[in-house]
Parts: sequence; structure tokens; C-alpha cells
Amino acid sequence: MMVTLKKFVLNPWVQLAFSVLCVTASEVFLKRGAVEAPKLGWRLNWTGVSGLASFDVWIGILFVVASFISWLYVLRFLPLTVAFPVSNFAHVLVPLSSWVFLDETISILRWSGIGLVLIGIFIVAKPVARMEEKL
Amino acid sequence: MISALLIFLALVLFITGQLLLKHAMESELYSARFMKFFITGLSAMTSSFFITLGLLQRYDLSYLYPFQGLSVVIISLLAAAILREKLTARLFFGAALISVGVVLVSLS
Repeated sequence: MMVTLKKFVLNPWVQLAFSVLCVTASEVFLKRGAVEAPKLGWRLNWTGVSGLASFDVWIGILFVVASFISWLYVLRFLPLTVAFPVSNFAHVLVPLSSWVFLDETISILRWSGIGLVLIGIFIVAKPVARMEEKL
Repeated sequence: MISALLIFLALVLFITGQLLLKHAMESELYSARFMKFFITGLSAMTSSFFITLGLLQRYDLSYLYPFQGLSVVIISLLAAAILREKLTARLFFGAALISVGVVLVSLS
């Protein structure tokens, strides 16, 4: 049981999925935090530093750090020509979660962009996944 | 003019950072070589992050994001050229579709 769990967690594809989920969660929390952040004077406002006053921003930062660590793990095992295109799955999940959690709308143009990203990821990942099945 | 330069700089730093980090993770962990590539890679990513954050205060996401979409194709090409990774026509085609998709997602 523990061995199976360990094997699952250490699988680079599982880590890649975890990294993408963390990126998505971080974007949602950072956006929520940025909106509720106090407005500072114009001298400091351009840096976004006032966001640090928001609890949501700190949760967002935790997710950023987690995604970065699992991304480094992914880089150790998968070629960049595969891992980086697949990590763009975040560009599918972020609009979808903005739609679900932040009540943002998705235009037809954006839906078609989401579709293209999905097809592209499928094309990149399929031969690699099949290769690993054979191993 | 300055903003175009900053957008370009953020993109170059992001791509350089990814390539350096990939190079670091392929070296023996914590060796001198690893530390060199890891620290330069992390610095490049961090600089790119703050430049983008500054740009985001002044411009819409829909204006800045298409440039990020381009990074998929550029990183695939550079990973093949510099890191000697195998880039098949299929991989390149997939990367190009993702790039176009990301641009469309950000335009609307």
C-alpha cells in the first residue's frame, strides 16, 4: 500500500498535474487577494506590494512555492519539449476556475483557445504516454 | 517603447530561466555546476516575475499574455537547439497549437 502510494507520488506525470493544479489555485487566490488589497499611494502602488496585506495573497504564494518545487522535480525526469507544453494546461484550468469561483465569463473566442490548447497537449503527450506504457 | 522593451525582457528572462533550471536539474544535485545553473535560473525567473507584475499594473492582461503564449514554441525550439532534446514534427505541431490557443484565450 505504502509502496504503491510512494510510486504514485514520485511519478513525474503526477507531479506535473500537481504543479498545474497549484498554479491554478495560486492564480485564483492571488486574484481574490489583489482585488481586496488596500490602495496605497501612487508611489508604491505599481509594485503590487499592498497585496501582502491580504490573507488570500499569502495562500496564493504558498501555492506558487509548491508548484515551483514539483516543477523542479518534473524537470529532472521529463524533457522540456514535453513538460513545458503540457504545463500550459493551466491556460485551460485558469479560465475554467475563474468562471466557476470568480464568476468571470468565457467568450466564444476564449472557448476556442481552450480547445486548441487541449488538442495541442493531446498531440504532445500521447506518444510519450504510449512509450511509457510499453516500459 | 520602454514597455515593449520590458515585455521583451520579461519574455527573454522567463525562457532563459526555464532553460537554466532544466539544465540544473539534469546535473548532480547540489554540485557546484548545479548551484551555478540553479541560482542563475532562479534569479532570471524572479526578475521576470517582478517585471511582469510591474507591467500588469499598467497594461491589461489581454495585451501582455499573448507574448507568454509564444514562449511554448520558443522554449521547444531552444530546448532542442541548446539542450539537445529530441524535437519531432509532432511535438512542434502540438507546441504551435498550444501557443495559438494561449493567444486566443488571452485575447478575448
